[in-house]
Amino acid sequence: MRALVFLALAAPAAAEPAIPQFADETATAGFSTPYEGEWEYMVGGGVATFDCSGDGFPEVFLSGGSGRSALYLNRSAQGGALAFEKTDALGIDAVLGAYPLDIDSDGAMDLVVLRQGENRLMRGLGNCRFENANAAWGFDGGDAWSTAFAAIWEKGQSWPTLAIGNYIDRKEEAFPWGSCTDNWLHRPEGNRFGAPIPLTPSYCALSMLFTDWNRSGHPSLRVSNDREYYKGGQEQMWHLEPDQPPRLYTEKDDGWKRLRIWGMGIASADVTLDGFPDYYLTSMADNKLQVLKDAASGKPDYADLAFKSGITAHRPYTGGDENPSTAWHPQFADVNNDGLLDLFVAKGNVAEMPDFAAQDPNNLMLAAGDGTFVEVGDKAGVASMAIARGAQVVDLNLDGRLDIVVQNRWTGAEVWRQTGAAGGWVQLRLQQPGANRDAIGAVVEIRRQDKVERHEITAGGGHLSGSVGWLHFGLGASPTAELRVIWPDGSEGAWLSLPAGSFQILRPEATPEPWVPK
Amino acid sequence: MPFHRRQVLGFTIAAPFALALKPALAAARADVSREVLLTWHKLILELVRHTATYMPPVAARAFAYIGVTAHEALASGNPALRSLAGQLTDLTPLPARGEGEFDEPCVLHAALEAAVTGLFANTGPTGQRAMEKMGQIMGKTASEGMAGDVVDRSVAHGRAIAAHVLEWAAGDGGAVIENMGFPRSYTPGTRPQDWVPTSAIRMQQAPLLPAWGQNRPFAVPDMASLDAPAPPDYDEAEGSTFHAYATEVYETGKALTDEQKLIARFWSDDAMLTPTPAGHWISIVMQIADRDALPVEVIAPTLAKLGVAQADAFVSCWSTKFKYNLLRPVTYIKRHIDKAWEPLLITPPFPEYTSGHSCQSGAASTVLTAVFGEDFAFDDATHVDEGLPVRSFPSFAAAAEEAALSRMYGGIHFRFGNEAGLAQGRAVGAFAAALKTEA
Repeated sequence: MRALVFLALAAPAAAEPAIPQFADETATAGFSTPYEGEWEYMVGGGVATFDCSGDGFPEVFLSGGSGRSALYLNRSAQGGALAFEKTDALGIDAVLGAYPLDIDSDGAMDLVVLRQGENRLMRGLGNCRFENANAAWGFDGGDAWSTAFAAIWEKGQSWPTLAIGNYIDRKEEAFPWGSCTDNWLHRPEGNRFGAPIPLTPSYCALSMLFTDWNRSGHPSLRVSNDREYYKGGQEQMWHLEPDQPPRLYTEKDDGWKRLRIWGMGIASADVTLDGFPDYYLTSMADNKLQVLKDAASGKPDYADLAFKSGITAHRPYTGGDENPSTAWHPQFADVNNDGLLDLFVAKGNVAEMPDFAAQDPNNLMLAAGDGTFVEVGDKAGVASMAIARGAQVVDLNLDGRLDIVVQNRWTGAEVWRQTGAAGGWVQLRLQQPGANRDAIGAVVEIRRQDKVERHEITAGGGHLSGSVGWLHFGLGASPTAELRVIWPDGSEGAWLSLPAGSFQILRPEATPEPWVPK
Repeated sequence: MPFHRRQVLGFTIAAPFALALKPALAAARADVSREVLLTWHKLILELVRHTATYMPPVAARAFAYIGVTAHEALASGNPALRSLAGQLTDLTPLPARGEGEFDEPCVLHAALEAAVTGLFANTGPTGQRAMEKMGQIMGKTASEGMAGDVVDRSVAHGRAIAAHVLEWAAGDGGAVIENMGFPRSYTPGTRPQDWVPTSAIRMQQAPLLPAWGQNRPFAVPDMASLDAPAPPDYDEAEGSTFHAYATEVYETGKALTDEQKLIARFWSDDAMLTPTPAGHWISIVMQIADRDALPVEVIAPTLAKLGVAQADAFVSCWSTKFKYNLLRPVTYIKRHIDKAWEPLLITPPFPEYTSGHSCQSGAASTVLTAVFGEDFAFDDATHVDEGLPVRSFPSFAAAAEEAALSRMYGGIHFRFGNEAGLAQGRAVGAFAAALKTEA
């Protein structure tokens, strides 16, 4: 049996991947929070998903821009129609995006809220109640146009290091170009945060991600910057070594290669199965798929394989508008559960830029198994022409099929429930005792045929959108998932064989704990 | 005898205007006009960088129309200045001023505001916001202390000047830019020397603006007469002339000094990251205007001539580019010398011959030499904000020659493309330099 399964997996993937089907449940799911505002909210519109009720189902937080944000409690039944209940728990104005993170590791999810003005750390009190913990945690929320976030637990720290990206100096009205304000690094001092460290130079970040790009054990901070507003800028990466000040990767010292794009979002995954993270960078017109050229060189020198892979997503593929696209939130996920990572990209005009597509459908690009991707957004039913910004690809009703929630500028969120037949899947929660309960910085290795696919567990990236919750892995026809966890401290868990169609809670040096939605 | 900078200003620039000494109020208003002109141009440089369709030829075109607008706005009320109507192709006489008092800063501001918002109507929300704010700021600056009826009359006239220029501009073949200038379909040539795409950017699998060379020129009566001679015969054999030119690019690129890298990046002037090559030369004039406190009556016609020269240079160069459709050095070198070679700069997405930057720099230097004189030394801080240092030049010609050579340092042009481009640009620029802007 095992041999047969292997043979099935080893066969070349079908050129025509199975197209998932989605039902648009926007009208009935209960969301009623648009991302509002004018120039000050031309970027942002993030979505955060996390479980704060303790039932395992992810809640949805929607940024409201100049309006109020909202937290929606998940009232969906397993496998059923999507149903959410709006609460006032996180009704905050001037919100651009948010990321869940259990900062104090108390088991109640906290939320990092990025704003026009003071950022807020909303401490989870349990049962989806929150309080502003800026003062209690010594967090200086600043007064900026905050547009990016990433977090990591540095070695030896019980609290996370937070990186916050900032955008234009909003007081510069006639000459905003070149006015990018400093990004900040909030490092912990015990169980609170020290004064923010400016990450100078800063170039109007719209996405940040801590990632162990070279598997050194020391994640670096990638920053994707909007070239529209910087001068002398480029994409960036920072060294972050314990007890050392952050240090920029340079061309001279590190072999960093200059890239200047309208950086909007970062998605990371080992889509090439070379053991190293690849990075999809959204922009306007062509988007990038960065693949490490030569890991042995030790240099962060990346080839752009977007064209070769068919995921430039540079213009609409349906709807008749042939102008270049504007891409925001990217996310890799195995949407059709065939064991191959697919790519979702939220699309939408900045506002009314006539040189860019006004009818700009979201992309759903399915991996074909040969390194290329096939666009199926229209066939799958998610090719919305709304002006999308943030998003999450997440299993909202815990049926093993990934659903999609997208926040749109002015018109409000859309949500699609995946229907139809589901391939094999397994979903994991990593939980470790003490600090960093959700194991940010861990790696899940899943063995596929003769390859090992590595998944970094990160907090950050995307376009002002993040998630903590069940980690979803598609399995195709395989009855089991062969995987292991490398925990943030570097300890390697045992290889596990977990049954398809199950939820599993994994802890260091412990037997997997099956979990069933109630 | 080489002229000293101050001598040039004293004898060839300041003199004509010194003859018409103005009362103190008029002088003060001229200072306001100067501020209006330079501040709007500061914004225009940013708009060029931040408007997605403003590829280098498109930017040069806009600078020309804006320069002509400003000059005509001033010329309509200054008998010492001469209109370009009848001198530039298809430019008919501009609206004359009616009865009553006019205020020059208000005329100029209104003309610039209308021209800029018209030419940059497609810029993004930040550009729109900046134009609106600039309109408010400069409108207030221009009209402060002036009688309302004078302001209204002047604004109406300025807008009429701009409308006339914009209507003229609409028919030149370059007014509509789709898909950021890249054709949505393209059939590449089949000869071994034909240009092929050089990047993995999907949009750039077709060359930029292949029909630009057919646009209506501003000052050149017969563009075909200025076409560059054919490039060296294409040859892949080692020892051939063509191979030697490619080898020169390759060897130069492998052994670049820090100074050569700096020169390459200084003149790189990439679209959407800088004001483009044409904006670089506009910036040079603005810096000289600031350093030498040039009067608005000098700055405006200079910007007009410079804009015209650069716009015509791009039309001429693009005509040549798509006539010969020559491949870029990176293509030849990777095919025949070293498949792993990479140039320092990003290779622009259009054919090599002739070099556009060389051509328009040749045109620009010809105009500026005609205005300011030979051996006119200047410093260029255009890219200080980008982290590049100030460079100093003994003359406009020297700057243009460095700009041309920079393209070989950058690995994006053969020497012959640069040299032919310079010569082509100088010939084009001579027509703009010959325009009569003084009565």
